[in-house]
Amino acid sequence: MTKTMKKQAYLMATLALIVASAFTFIQSQDWKIAEGYSIKFDGGDPSGEFTGLKGTIQFDEKKLAASKFDVTIDVASINTGNGMKNTHAKGAGWFDVEKYPTIAFVSSAITKTASGFEAKGTLEMHGVKKEITLPFTFANNTFAANMEVNRMDFNLDDGKHPKMAPTLKVSINVPVTK
Amino acid sequence: MTRTIFYQSLVAGILAAIAANIYNQIYYFATQIDYSNIINVGSLLGLNLMVSLLAGLLYVLHIKLFKAKGAIIFNFVYSVGSFACLIIPLALTLPLSTPFPELFPGLTVPMVFFPVIAWMTIDPLFKKNID
Repeated sequence: MTKTMKKQAYLMATLALIVASAFTFIQSQDWKIAEGYSIKFDGGDPSGEFTGLKGTIQFDEKKLAASKFDVTIDVASINTGNGMKNTHAKGAGWFDVEKYPTIAFVSSAITKTASGFEAKGTLEMHGVKKEITLPFTFANNTFAANMEVNRMDFNLDDGKHPKMAPTLKVSINVPVTK
Repeated sequence: MTRTIFYQSLVAGILAAIAANIYNQIYYFATQIDYSNIINVGSLLGLNLMVSLLAGLLYVLHIKLFKAKGAIIFNFVYSVGSFACLIIPLALTLPLSTPFPELFPGLTVPMVFFPVIAWMTIDPLFKKNID
């Protein structure tokens, strides 16, 4: 190998390292969903929780542009504390689990706010996609969010329960590990 | 008579509680699902005694109101009432930490009938004493 070739090789290696380090800079922190998470909903009657949460969470407070949520909830994991209500909720009149087995949220942008963060993205539920903003906090390796979901926006109504509140309070608490 | 009915209620309540506890053990053995935060020895004893003692009071009331036909009417009322109470375990909302709420009625629905079964099982023994 000639001296010039050696120089070029070092130059290429330096360039490659610079490019690679740029990618590590953009790369956000990957988190794994830990045990003990809760996704609770409160509509008076019914109230309950979902227990089947999966997905990928990339989040770094300092690299929000590279942060992203892509999570799904297994609708069949719904638990209202009552077997009949669970069966009813999974049925065709409500979530229609056979046709729409998951609730999905994919973020498109995460920004810092005065009280924490907010994730803008698409919430897909019962076959309906809707752009939402999810305000959340991140402390002690735990994501926490509270939001309201209007079930009518997602056609979640069997027309037989006019007294049921149209809006459900959703409370999310997700501990994560690296 | 009231004293005899009190003892009948007490015995019926204890027998129903014993039966319910045995069934609870069998159900746990079959399903391996633990509902002990709701259904346990204490709650079963308390509930069965309460229902049986209330049934005793209702029996006395029926005898006073309907005289000789009181016992017959009471039996119908107690059976139909027990049947109507099926809705209670079906409609009950359990704490969210309770696993498999779908299987809870399988445990508790049969138990609804234990007090009335116990009452009618021992009824002839105590009728003899009344006469």
